[in-house]
Amino acid sequence: MEFKTVLTTCPYCGCGCGLLLEVLDGKVVGTLPSKTSPVNQGKLCVKGWTVHEFVTSPNRLIKPMVRKGDALQDSSWNEALNLAATRLKEIKEKYGPDSIGVLTSAKCTNEENYILQKFTRAALGTNNIDHCARL
Amino acid sequence: MTFLRKLLEFSGIHPDRLRARWVSSAEAVEFVHEISEFAEDIKKLGPNPLKVKAREAA
Amino acid sequence: MSQKIREHVQKLLAEKKIKGFLGLREEGGNIMPHLFCDPKELDHLSLGNWKKAGDTRYPLNQLMIRLTMNYPEETFAVLVRGCDERGLKELFKWKQLNEEKVALVGLGCPDELARTCECEKPFPDSLLDGPKGEKADSQKVARIEALDLDARLQFWRTEFNRCIKCFGCRNICPMCFCNECSLEEDQLVGTGEIPPSNPTFHLARAIHMVGRCIDCGLCEEACPADIPLRTLYKKVAEIISKEFGYKTGFSVDEKSPFNIIEVK
Repeated sequence: MEFKTVLTTCPYCGCGCGLLLEVLDGKVVGTLPSKTSPVNQGKLCVKGWTVHEFVTSPNRLIKPMVRKGDALQDSSWNEALNLAATRLKEIKEKYGPDSIGVLTSAKCTNEENYILQKFTRAALGTNNIDHCARL
Repeated sequence: MTFLRKLLEFSGIHPDRLRARWVSSAEAVEFVHEISEFAEDIKKLGPNPLKVKAREAA
Repeated sequence: MSQKIREHVQKLLAEKKIKGFLGLREEGGNIMPHLFCDPKELDHLSLGNWKKAGDTRYPLNQLMIRLTMNYPEETFAVLVRGCDERGLKELFKWKQLNEEKVALVGLGCPDELARTCECEKPFPDSLLDGPKGEKADSQKVARIEALDLDARLQFWRTEFNRCIKCFGCRNICPMCFCNECSLEEDQLVGTGEIPPSNPTFHLARAIHMVGRCIDCGLCEEACPADIPLRTLYKKVAEIISKEFGYKTGFSVDEKSPFNIIEVK
């Protein structure tokens, strides 16, 4: 058996609070604030305190899925990506680039957010991009 | 009750604003008496400070 | 670092008396809870003294409950200061932990820390290392009692107004083990309000601290709004001690006054 706490950074907002994930036998079971992190000094907000809940949530997407009819069904990366690219192109041609909006997340890395805004501006041709932390 | 009254007092709420009495449903006269007496005693303490703050804030 | 504690734990592990020692680990300048199962890991053993004595304490009792829930047959050792031991005495009574499966490794707190905490008893009975400190005088509660009723209410309402309902006080509390917490109950506190119902939220928590709060101070350390929670809970303990003669964590068999049902 193994129980340890792992120091990591909270994935939510831009604060970057240091927190400890409680890991029991390889599974994340709880969260504690890191008392040695200068950013948060042993304190967390309610989102930081519940980080372990979403990590192990059964609602997490773990494979590509495509909506066929009413239901989401398992798919392959190729099928999902092709569908997304085809439909986005169609919508852009028919309604114009500004008819598309992109929502990204503070939970993504800076690099992922950079790619997404580059895609939105250069590939889609719109500046309709925003991010959950602005709300 | 002892505990609650002391906790309220420490928090700045007059302990006499909290009262517990036992009255049976068959004792209508006693019930009215207790409530009326309590209402009079509370009025002497003034308006509920928690509600006053809420009104001031609004 | 305590040589005595390290040697004691090494011995417990070598003699296979324990499956692991729940303590603190120092790594890269950070201190965090850790279960030491391999004596080699003890090179990183920490006592929670980062820049000042006791400034990196964690709710080890709470982590112990999680461990024993998953491994009920195993015996573990745990690092305890005076407050932690008070907590364990209560948790044994509340049947959250089995005293036969928990070995205590006691650490005493230095005077400076005891004074900051205004600790009733800054050392555990099972003291292995560290001083056997004096009881520290209490001033935090007295300062509030010097105010009149209106000033007190004004003080507390201002403090509670900064609350962001992060639940840090409850989450980090080593004595909070309820599966369903009344503070999350819409009918009692009201969900979706920031600050939470003032003063209901905090008074409700204070009431729930009767017979449970061990005055470890982790709640106040975890509060991002610097609300003086400890002062409130210290007063709760004082009321219970004066009116019911009960002091949390001092007796091994006496039950909390709110936990006794007498059938005559």
